[in-house]
Amino acid sequence: MIVCVAVVGHQNNPLYIQSFTDADDALKLHHIVHCSLDVIEERVNNPKKSGTTLNEAFLGLLYPTVNYKVYGYLTNTKVKFILVTTDLDVRDTDVRSFFRKFHAAYVDAVSNPFHVPGKKITSRTFAQTVSNIVGSYGLN
Amino acid sequence: MGREVAESCVDTMLMEMVAMYSGRFYANKPELAARRIEAIGYQVGHQLSERYTMERPRFSDHLEAIKFICKDFWSEVFKKQIDNLKTNHRGTFVLQDNKFRWLSRVSIDPSSENETEDPSTPGESKAAQAVSMYLYFPCGIIRGVLSNLGIPCAVSADISSLPTCSFVIRVKA
Repeated sequence: MIVCVAVVGHQNNPLYIQSFTDADDALKLHHIVHCSLDVIEERVNNPKKSGTTLNEAFLGLLYPTVNYKVYGYLTNTKVKFILVTTDLDVRDTDVRSFFRKFHAAYVDAVSNPFHVPGKKITSRTFAQTVSNIVGSYGLN
Repeated sequence: MGREVAESCVDTMLMEMVAMYSGRFYANKPELAARRIEAIGYQVGHQLSERYTMERPRFSDHLEAIKFICKDFWSEVFKKQIDNLKTNHRGTFVLQDNKFRWLSRVSIDPSSENETEDPSTPGESKAAQAVSMYLYFPCGIIRGVLSNLGIPCAVSADISSLPTCSFVIRVKA
């Protein structure tokens, strides 16, 4: 199950962060997202060490913890997408397609002329789309 | 898929935008009008770059980003590629379009040139100045795309003979 997704801007400013659990662990999940930013930075600055192919947007598994797996995605415009899931056997292709849909939703949200670049995404349509995407992956 | 806009609508909008800003809002301050139009272009470029760079790997250097503008971005927006790209490898790029779409229907009234006897007419430079107002919008678009890709720069345009047009990009170190 996907428990948390986040969009982080190019100056590491949070643009959107949403957890999908009933338990009161939002703070813990935000902490995990926060930690993963360092891992992304490390990946991008030392591309040879990581297994990902040249400059691909999808960064793969950032780090596993006991209960969670954290995946990252970095766009051309230096916007980071982070996904925290509790499933321990996830297929890379599923995560890839999740990020692709998530990215498309993000692009639609920032193309709104009333959205101010660099500010948090407040669009309700975006929130709805994201929770639909997350819901569709929770069933698998 | 993406929705399209009729080309004549875009042309009309550009004409109207220039007319509004340089004729009504800032009639006495062409500098300010140019800056405002450039700022609109910046926002448009900023948002377009987000969409058009979606399915591609990240750019590793400036040249790759500029090439993206010349090929893919230009094809998306103007249905053709940039005809000539020059660079001094020190952060200056010149993009030349031999038939820039937004200027392809602009012509300079020949009668106004004949009226004035002086060969270095103010009429001609006035016409060039009027045309240059239409280029602040595309300049802003280019700047918006590049700064969203993490390349701060200044963009200016240069018209030698219509409808040829070159854009000069100076990357800020």
